[in-house]
Amino acid sequence: MKRKQYIFILVFIGAAVMLSACAGAANTATSWPGLTVNDQYAYVAYNTQVYAVDLTNGSEVWRYPAEADNNITFYADPELTGEGQLITGSYDSNLYSLDVETGRQVWVFPDAENRYIGAALVDDSSIFAPAADENLYSLDLDGRLQWTFNTEGESWAQPITDDECKCLFLSSMDHSVYAIDPQNGTEKWRSEELGGAVVGTPAYNNDGVLYVGTFSGQLFALNAENGAVIWEFTTQEEGWIWSGPTLADGVLYFGDLSGYLYAVDAETGTQIWQRDPEQDEEEIVGSPLVMDESIYFANNFGYLYKLSKDGVKIWEVNVDPSNGNGKIYTSPKSSNGLILVAPIQVDNLLVAYNEDGTKKWDFIPAE
Amino acid sequence: MNIWNTLILDPMINSLIWIYSGLGENFGLAIIVFTILVRLITYPLTASQIKSTRNMQELQKSKKWQDIQKKYKNDREKLAQEQMSLYKEMGVSPFGSCLPTLIQFPIIIGLYQAIIRALAVTPIQLLELTRHLYPFYNAAALIPLNNYFLWMDLSQPEKDYGIAIAGFTIPILAILVVGTTFLQSRLMTPPSTTGEQGANMSRAMNLYMPLFMGYLAYTFPSGLALYFVTSNLVGILQYGIMGRLDWRNLIPSRFSSGDKKE
Repeated sequence: MKRKQYIFILVFIGAAVMLSACAGAANTATSWPGLTVNDQYAYVAYNTQVYAVDLTNGSEVWRYPAEADNNITFYADPELTGEGQLITGSYDSNLYSLDVETGRQVWVFPDAENRYIGAALVDDSSIFAPAADENLYSLDLDGRLQWTFNTEGESWAQPITDDECKCLFLSSMDHSVYAIDPQNGTEKWRSEELGGAVVGTPAYNNDGVLYVGTFSGQLFALNAENGAVIWEFTTQEEGWIWSGPTLADGVLYFGDLSGYLYAVDAETGTQIWQRDPEQDEEEIVGSPLVMDESIYFANNFGYLYKLSKDGVKIWEVNVDPSNGNGKIYTSPKSSNGLILVAPIQVDNLLVAYNEDGTKKWDFIPAE
Repeated sequence: MNIWNTLILDPMINSLIWIYSGLGENFGLAIIVFTILVRLITYPLTASQIKSTRNMQELQKSKKWQDIQKKYKNDREKLAQEQMSLYKEMGVSPFGSCLPTLIQFPIIIGLYQAIIRALAVTPIQLLELTRHLYPFYNAAALIPLNNYFLWMDLSQPEKDYGIAIAGFTIPILAILVVGTTFLQSRLMTPPSTTGEQGANMSRAMNLYMPLFMGYLAYTFPSGLALYFVTSNLVGILQYGIMGRLDWRNLIPSRFSSGDKKE
């Protein structure tokens, strides 16, 4: 074979490798960090690792796996069991149980056929894990399968239960919400077609009402007994609602992809107030955090806002004030007087603010 | 404002989804129909490319061309000057055949991006998709798109889900892409008139390009492979309608020697 032909083949192989690298990158461009907190630690699941971070100073306690494996990536919020496990789903279609103190792997549940995007729900004796293979898996705390419930669409959100755990509620990308018997995985009801995908976790109140936001730009109140629509609220510009609403003191707080934040009366569905976006292309993806007299929410420009409960801005901070590159899609969390946000497109994976908006620490994973 | 998104990507994504909604929410059919439409819209460019290639071939067969090749075979600079003079004299643009290809290139890239983005399967991809959707139709009712067509999951590479026998995934789409790309290149490649070097290059392209495309089909989401197959078949059909297919190129004896005969 002539020299030119060798060169020709090498160019082809080079191009194939480069394009495959692009394809790989496209396949791993996936999501934003999952975040869970308790009194001592924050657990952040992002990309190839899950980190336990000490809340007192932002130092790393452990990471799993110790060595990154590009085939195992984590984005769902990890969930704590009462027995010292941290349950976290991966994009490798496995559900992992980790020892919460050490990060050591306890067990792996391998039956799902697609990635875990939504967080698992954990109660005293069971784990309910939604996978993107359109199944909800119920496991015992040792990782043994109890039952499987199939929907017609992927579920990207953590299920919720009523207070007595008589019913599980699962939102689905098939534009509906399911009520499921947690004992045996049978369907109790399925809501009507809600006009758009239901991506976020519903909110539930003790009076038997379920609240879900949809991509149709509507927030629905559903009767938890039968799934019937009680009322619906349409957002300004029919902005798509990504995350579920936060319910506090009879008021639902939620944002949309048009950048609006709303407070809606949970009983009647009437708007109490609305906060307009401050700039074009602003998006609110995560659910607001509601504490005592304050509301915290974040947007795609890397801003964390604190509002009073009547919607008046108290302060704002940017996670990347010098460059403005940060984006916050993960819902803010709180613990021990700290407000925690997990931005992307910046080095710091976790940033802790005091309630007055001053930064306490940030966590940048060591290489 | 991002010009690429505004002029290429957004219209393509929204057209694709609009066609999807009109075809019973079948994304496979939407890719096929959309590819055919794009090929029809860019047909004038294809026709112009074919015409330019034909003119160039005729020029290279002419006595004047052959004469200057011999006369200045040891003086490359002079040869180039004479060739340029001949191009001018005969009214042939040396870039006439590659310019339409260059114009089509962004369309192909846009189509690829549109298919991949419309098939958003992760939160970041879905969030990105929402930014490209036009407000004047009800995209929310269609999202997420149905990724399944025949045996294919259009959002995944076939290697990840394909039909497996004895643990080996049969790359049906990759085989189809290799086959149609090979067929297209054999049927549409004119005999080389640029001597041994050109013939070698032509042979190498006919051999490696289908393998390269097959590799991409195996590695990238299947929606792209479906686009490759459709595009190849439409291309063959278009050349056929123009009477430019050379079926003799499929004769095995011409595989190895055909290019040298001219």
